[in-house]
Amino acid sequence: MPERNIDFGTYGARGIKAHEAVARQLDTLAGYIATPVTARRGLLARLHYLTRTDHALNAAREAGLTVTGRTLRAWLEGRRAPSRKNLERIEAAYKTVRRHNVARYLLGRLNADGRGTRVEIHPLNQSQVPRPRQRIVEYRSFNVRHWDRVIQAWADNDTQALDDAWVEKIVDLGSQWGQYEYVTNVGFAA
Amino acid sequence: MTDFEAIDHLLATARREVELPPTGRRRPLREALGLSRTQVAQALGVSPSTVGGWESGRDPSGHVREKYAYFLQGAQAKLETQAQAAPAAAPAAENTAHGNTEAGTAADPDSDEVHTLPAPQPCVLCGQPARRHVAGFPQHLDPAECAAASPAPPAAPVPTGTAPAPAPVTAPAPAHAVAPRPGRSVKAVTAHRRTQAASETRDVIAEAVAAALAEHAGDVEAATAALVKRAIPDVMALLDTCRRGGRYEIVAHPWMPDILRKQTARGPDQIWEARPKWARPELPAGRHDVSVLDVNAYYLSAFKTHLPIGQLEHTSGPGHDRRRAGVHLITPPAWDHDAVLPNPIGNRDEAGPLWVTEPTLRLLLRLSAPAYALCDPPEIHESYTSGATEGLLEKFRITLRDARDRAIAAHDDVTLEYLKAMYSKFVSTMGESHYNRQLYRPDWMHIIRSQAFSNLWWKAYKAYDEGLTVVSVMGTDELHVIGDWRSVFPEGRGVSEMKPKDAYSIGTEPVDES
Repeated sequence: MPERNIDFGTYGARGIKAHEAVARQLDTLAGYIATPVTARRGLLARLHYLTRTDHALNAAREAGLTVTGRTLRAWLEGRRAPSRKNLERIEAAYKTVRRHNVARYLLGRLNADGRGTRVEIHPLNQSQVPRPRQRIVEYRSFNVRHWDRVIQAWADNDTQALDDAWVEKIVDLGSQWGQYEYVTNVGFAA
Repeated sequence: MTDFEAIDHLLATARREVELPPTGRRRPLREALGLSRTQVAQALGVSPSTVGGWESGRDPSGHVREKYAYFLQGAQAKLETQAQAAPAAAPAAENTAHGNTEAGTAADPDSDEVHTLPAPQPCVLCGQPARRHVAGFPQHLDPAECAAASPAPPAAPVPTGTAPAPAPVTAPAPAHAVAPRPGRSVKAVTAHRRTQAASETRDVIAEAVAAALAEHAGDVEAATAALVKRAIPDVMALLDTCRRGGRYEIVAHPWMPDILRKQTARGPDQIWEARPKWARPELPAGRHDVSVLDVNAYYLSAFKTHLPIGQLEHTSGPGHDRRRAGVHLITPPAWDHDAVLPNPIGNRDEAGPLWVTEPTLRLLLRLSAPAYALCDPPEIHESYTSGATEGLLEKFRITLRDARDRAIAAHDDVTLEYLKAMYSKFVSTMGESHYNRQLYRPDWMHIIRSQAFSNLWWKAYKAYDEGLTVVSVMGTDELHVIGDWRSVFPEGRGVSEMKPKDAYSIGTEPVDES
């Protein structure tokens, strides 16, 4: 049983990397603005979020929104509309700033004063794998007490660090942890 | 034999760590000298609880270990000198360290039922190793020996000259020589994980209500508002309590197929819950008195339904597995009884296949069976199902139902409101709600709602079957009937009873209100 899968999906197994599922769940918990940035309502909501205070504006500039204040004002007043490239930048900056702002509270809720949070791991989908090659991979649930590195990596949008941090958590599952490198879903509440 | 002993001794002394007497001997040694734990602890520079730990299984290490070993050796030596000074030959200790079994320790009372065992076996009374076999059972002869856990055998009969005097006589030679296990074994009662009956659990609901009333100094409205506000976390905690000892774990965050996901932020998903909204198109001539009946706690009763336990798996093709539950894409059968009974799939405007949940499908299958033969069987195209049980929320439902019954009997409106908020919000937030992130089961939400509608349909059918005229079936809990409904349904506020809500008269013109 290899701990890291080398050629995932050769025989038809389907799933996503566990750390991607974790990031997805954390994104769900962070609660982004639902309306897409391409709609005027969504654009304005994001711009207001990024320009509400000087602190937010500085964070947005650090996150890659390098336009002048004049341009921002023109966008906010509707005199000009951002180009597609700038829309992507606004979206990326919004997500980064939002993650950083939420991370502290999310961490507190997930650590829960040391009690930690119960995590469900739903194994990969083997329905397309030929019967002789299917393996028994069970649904597992376990408790994660220290979320600091996971949240830090997620807030920094650092995929590799998130992968490492998550693998460090799932080794608690025992010798079969490699079976859970790819999953259909990772679920937890905060 | 002596060669081996010499080798054993050599091995024992060659070890870096000092050997300590077995755990079971440590406490008797200390107590035989009349020393308290605190005294020993002060002398060794540790806390009394640490000494207690050493006496019950842990081992010290390092410098403290040497000190402790020195103390134990000293105690042993002192006891030996005391024992030799004692005039009477002490009774033979039962576990001599060297296993000279056939020596038989002269003072055996060899009556017909008492035999000496070749090897010590655990006593049936206390679990300590015993050398006597009485009436077929290994046990101690002297109750005093039995009572004390490995009573300090003061006279470990010193064999002549195996070791120099201060050397630990009982220092156990390496593992094969002694069997320290039975000596240190403590009778363990395995703590069974037993399921608690609902009555054994604390009444968390009553406690919460009492606390809220106390906090708001008896202000009923404020207390009710506070309780309703915390209903969601409370009901999730109650669910956890009710699942203790249960057979299945509640899987709270499974992968969901796209049909169960909301397409937009506020839009619905693709499941049809079969909510009834039906009014009888034509009434018999004349003027009628219509009673409006209410189903009590309809969502609470609907907790008893077939819920899929794990992740939903896709299957295609006809056929229904009664041991599984989930959502199904079906083509509903034609319904020819719209004049007297509502369509079991609700008032669907569009024709064609639709996704229904397990209760709706079971209702249709039952109605198509020969016992009723009200319609053709539905045509199943594909399904997302998982292994199902009806018992998943059963204890939860019974806990809430009993609390509700008690509150009704005591006219306790605060508890009633609190309970109502608990079970209705449990259903409404168990899907993709931001108010309840503990449970992401939109499939359960749809199934429970459909079960409530299905239960209402059966109530309408029962009324029709008993000769009442069903005028209207609406929403989740409303049934309008003409006739003496009290002969069909019991009246009351319990979950199996019906509550009269209103009454009105209609003339000869067809009913048009809804």
